[in-house]
Amino acid sequence: MLIRKDLCVGCGRCQPYCPVGAIQFEELKSVVDQEVCYECGTCLRSEICPVEAIEESPYVYEYPRALRKFFSDPNATHALTGIAGRGTEESKSNDVINRVVPGEVGVAIEFGRPTLGMDLTNIQKVTRAMAKAGITEIEPDNPFNDMIQNHDTGDLKPELMGEKVLSAIMEFKVKRDQLGHVLRTIKQAAKEVDGVFVVDVYTRLEPGLTVPKEVIETIEAEGYTRRPNAKINMGLGRANKRKDS
Amino acid sequence: MTHSLHREGPLDLLDKEYVLFVYPARGFNYDGSGPKVRRLGEMLFHQGPANLLVTTLRRNMYSAISQEEILNSIKDGAKIFCVLEDREKFKDTMAKIKEMDEGISIVISGVIDRVREVSAELGLNPHTINLSLGIHGRTDRLPPADIRQFTTMCGHGMVSPRLIRDVIRRVKTGKLNLWEASLILTAPCSCGIFNPCRSAEMLKDLVPLYTVNRL
Repeated sequence: MLIRKDLCVGCGRCQPYCPVGAIQFEELKSVVDQEVCYECGTCLRSEICPVEAIEESPYVYEYPRALRKFFSDPNATHALTGIAGRGTEESKSNDVINRVVPGEVGVAIEFGRPTLGMDLTNIQKVTRAMAKAGITEIEPDNPFNDMIQNHDTGDLKPELMGEKVLSAIMEFKVKRDQLGHVLRTIKQAAKEVDGVFVVDVYTRLEPGLTVPKEVIETIEAEGYTRRPNAKINMGLGRANKRKDS
Repeated sequence: MTHSLHREGPLDLLDKEYVLFVYPARGFNYDGSGPKVRRLGEMLFHQGPANLLVTTLRRNMYSAISQEEILNSIKDGAKIFCVLEDREKFKDTMAKIKEMDEGISIVISGVIDRVREVSAELGLNPHTINLSLGIHGRTDRLPPADIRQFTTMCGHGMVSPRLIRDVIRRVKTGKLNLWEASLILTAPCSCGIFNPCRSAEMLKDLVPLYTVNRL
């Protein structure tokens, strides 16, 4: 994002809106620090500027800077991959799609969440650790896939290393008996990163909204704490046709 | 997209909050989903949500836009994101959705025990659960928990910690009331799942704890 110096009246109203504090005063005008800015567009969407001095940078869609936009602005359609958003439908339509079936567990590592964002050098530390642990099949419909240079090593594309994103989701599924190994690897990788991420797992339910005992026991055995709130697919969807494949 | 999964806050307030998603599945029931989603949207408006947004318009119900405009934007593939404020309203809404039987996936983000109770009372059989296993890495860099209870209502991180402190200052100095402050915080969330009702309750508790410099 940019703030036009010729228009800015230095009121500072836009500054609190930036989720990462990229807007500061410089010689009595508000200025966006281009290194800090994630191109999320919150300042522009807020329509708080009384003189309409906030604009999108002319280079925001240039590769590799465009990565910031596509993984930080929830309204941006992912032009690099043609996929909207930063994740897939994961559990949300699992009652129709059956992406994860009984005996499997979906896992998501949400880099940069909450709030802080993360640079790709740190994301790569996790993708490399996961690849080393045998997680090389990432959800193909997730735009995160486009960042990866080599799935076997977990290396990300080298030209992206200077970039950062507010949120990117590494999404994959494993057999239930592999969950412990995966959670252990994630915990180890967390010690290496200079940033934050959240972890979530999704699984088919047993009758009575019962989480399979094996999944709960694994989560607890690996020292993770579950939040009391969760996202629950209520099982009311149905397909009106079969997917071509 | 798991932007509603990691909501933080006092359990007594989380307990009353139900984020509801109407979610057609790409490639499976997108075609012809528009009229079904619209019927569900009309019903949800009737239930009096705390917030609501349709993905084809991306403007929440507080952004100077009419219900008709929001509903008219619905086409095949449109999703609805909405927040309901108490258990009875949630139960009544789920009963109506069950009765309507539109065949579109419905996802609830809420306290597991409450969703389990309501499901049992209505004879629903939830299919899949997504569990949050918490924040990892440099958690020392995070804003404090009292600020995160606001910021995590927008899982995409669009609600700035500094904006929360700014509205606290403005409430404390009498420039805004709790509801006006909450609507300011609701605006940056472009998924319509920031709950201004919970925000107002939390601000009420938080404002006395902060000191401000009137200069």
